[in-house]
Amino acid sequence: MPETVRNIFARQKWMAIAVATIVLAGILTAASPVFLTFSNIQSILVQSSVTAIMAIGMTFIILTAGIDISVGAILFFTSALFAQLMIDTESYLLAFTAAMVCATGLGALNGILVVRFRISPLITTLATYSIYRGAAIHLTGAQNIPVPRDMGFLGNGKLLGVPVPIIILALIFAIGVYAFSRTRFGVFTRAIGNSARSAQESNLPVNRITIAVYAASGLVTGIAALILLARVGGLQSGIGIGIEFTVIAAVILGGTKLTGGSGTVTGSVIGAVFLVLIDNGLNLMNASPYIYDIVRGSVLLAAVAVDRLSAIRQQKSVEAARAARIRGSAVAG
Amino acid sequence: MLDTSKTAPPVLSVRNLSKAFAGKTVVDDVSFDIHPGETIGLVGENGAGKSTTKNMLCGLLQPSKGEILVGGEVVPQIDGPEHGISAVHQELSLFGSLTVAENMCITDLPGRPARVNWAEADRIAKAQLEFLGIEIDTKATIESLGAGRQQVVEIAKALLHADRVLILDEPTTSLTAIEREKLFAIIDTLKARGVAIIFISHFMEEIYRVCDKFIVLRDGKQVGGGHLADVPQRQLEEMMVGRTLEDSRIDLDPPGDAEALSVKGLTAIDFENVDFTVHKGEILGISGLMGAGRTEIAEAIFGLRPASGCVQVHGETVSPVTVQAMKDRRVCYVPEDRRTNGLFLNRPVRENLSAASILNFVRRSLRGVGFRGEKARAQEEVKARNISVPSIENRVSDLSGGNQQKVLLGRWLSTLPDILIFDEPTKGVDIGAKFDIHETIAGLARAGKAVIIVSSDLPELLHTTHRILVMRKGHMVGEFRREDYDSVKIISLAASAGNGSNRNA
Repeated sequence: MPETVRNIFARQKWMAIAVATIVLAGILTAASPVFLTFSNIQSILVQSSVTAIMAIGMTFIILTAGIDISVGAILFFTSALFAQLMIDTESYLLAFTAAMVCATGLGALNGILVVRFRISPLITTLATYSIYRGAAIHLTGAQNIPVPRDMGFLGNGKLLGVPVPIIILALIFAIGVYAFSRTRFGVFTRAIGNSARSAQESNLPVNRITIAVYAASGLVTGIAALILLARVGGLQSGIGIGIEFTVIAAVILGGTKLTGGSGTVTGSVIGAVFLVLIDNGLNLMNASPYIYDIVRGSVLLAAVAVDRLSAIRQQKSVEAARAARIRGSAVAG
Repeated sequence: MLDTSKTAPPVLSVRNLSKAFAGKTVVDDVSFDIHPGETIGLVGENGAGKSTTKNMLCGLLQPSKGEILVGGEVVPQIDGPEHGISAVHQELSLFGSLTVAENMCITDLPGRPARVNWAEADRIAKAQLEFLGIEIDTKATIESLGAGRQQVVEIAKALLHADRVLILDEPTTSLTAIEREKLFAIIDTLKARGVAIIFISHFMEEIYRVCDKFIVLRDGKQVGGGHLADVPQRQLEEMMVGRTLEDSRIDLDPPGDAEALSVKGLTAIDFENVDFTVHKGEILGISGLMGAGRTEIAEAIFGLRPASGCVQVHGETVSPVTVQAMKDRRVCYVPEDRRTNGLFLNRPVRENLSAASILNFVRRSLRGVGFRGEKARAQEEVKARNISVPSIENRVSDLSGGNQQKVLLGRWLSTLPDILIFDEPTKGVDIGAKFDIHETIAGLARAGKAVIIVSSDLPELLHTTHRILVMRKGHMVGEFRREDYDSVKIISLAASAGNGSNRNA
């Protein structure tokens, strides 16, 4: 049976953002001859790698109908811990291990709080956002800490001609897609977001999965933190401020529903690239730096509004079908 | 069907099953046997204890008393999967954006956790659906299927893990006529395969179509049971309705002739072409099963829900129908769910009483601060409505259900309405408060007010109203005058699966 375009869009939820990204790329190509060069595309992917990696983790959280506002703070805390340990011990192994454990732990703590106290994830992670960031500043004494020069490989180096951040992104993307569709974890995650009540009734390990989802997001945020640290060259107090907006926006633009249950990892990654393209375009237009946030916010609002409208339309057609049934039974009688 | 049902031991037996919540007995002394391939219909009115019985049978609730035997052996509590007993509840436990195969296998995924064998899951789902003789794409998402197919998937899923006894709770409420027939065909297949089925339904036709035996519950007690073939429908309905209420009827004065509220061609999503008129001094009841559109009509008249058609108050058309327009015409609406839609639970009784008429108090006290007269008025209302509360400053949430309902009633009565619409006015209130509320309503009619009562409690309508309208699936299907009241006729009209319209039955 030939699928209509509408069906493909309904089935592949990342299609909309993919089309939007291609259209935007087309506009940018027309506007600037350098846009469609190999090096520029590579640079766009490198720029989007940090948020894209974090967006993959965030996708799973939002799939459970949760959210994590504190990812920027986890990013900052992990960076701070890593930089500080490198200064103190000069051991990559120790610093790296500690950073990963810590990032996973902070994420898991969010999950535990959400599960244990049944507070809204928004409030829980808003609170931990403040705690994590405050703790990191306390840890480092609000100083800028440089990282060793050879750390730069992680952010700017190349392996077989491919920038390292892109390789890491590709790996995490592959794992994310696999976990989403092939593992029990993935199905349970989607099921919980669909209906927590049904999940509970079906005896799914709702609490364990919820904690795991936040922990996994923490872990990838930790990896993203090291890439960002390598690219920036050292710890700065501004690291990670506002990044939660970009990450959540990427996930939402990618077609994942804030109400949970429905979404894709692919969409979130494309969403992250899309947001970098917008910056890129504004840059080409020599727009004032103050415009950037306005445009990003407007794009997110537009995307959510379009999504709501289509949901309302769907609801209307369901109601119309119900009304038709009542009419139908009248005709029969 | 194999004729083993007479000789084989029952797959499930219960003896004197009882359940009490906080000292209140909800199910009392239910006993029956069910054999493989047998279907038992569990019937009763709303609140008769069907759901509680069901929950005990599928292991969600532990019985307070009684004995359960599975395959002849006594067990303390039912464990669905272990004992082969599964239930399909009214509210399905499916995941909308997952596929049919994912839904069916989710509790027991083939393969390893890190690598689910989806091909195998798909095979299991396909085999199960084929076994039931249904064609559904296992890769389709649940939300893309209609209600009927969702129901079938849920049944297929349930039977995957427990296939000895299947409990179906009102499985047809959201189905079309065709879907319903398909479901019955599946039930026949299951019976032939030796699955025992407990079928809960309001619809008598369905009970007779599907079941071999029946159990009637009334007020938690098992008041009848046996083979359906021996019992005509009329008798079964009488068992269900039970009590004769003629003696406890409230005395009503004859209604006046002046039209108070009339509705013409009212149509919305949930109902169509509803016409009726209420006169001054008349109490009109609207009856029907859950989902018949009763509440929706009441809400539409009060402007809480969009609808087309014409609403007239005292002969004058109200357009547009908004809450404010209705309030201005002295119409009031007391909603069904007082806790979420009516009361301000964490505010004192005084504020709850004055909420709808607060402007009266403000206007009089322009120079002063606060609401002059509010307290005195609240005190009067508490006395008039016989609300038992230590002080008008107590929070409404501290009150019993009956007293809460009286507060809500008092709030609207203090707006001095001419037309009152009550939705389930005595739901969840004790018998004393119920009597007080009925008396108040009767008193309002005597004072010339027009009253509409929407209720699922048929006895209540029978003894408090002048006239009853019966709704079914969004249509007015019948009208009864007080002198012709016949609870069995009303119930069978509301519950019949047919689509005929017989006004003035």
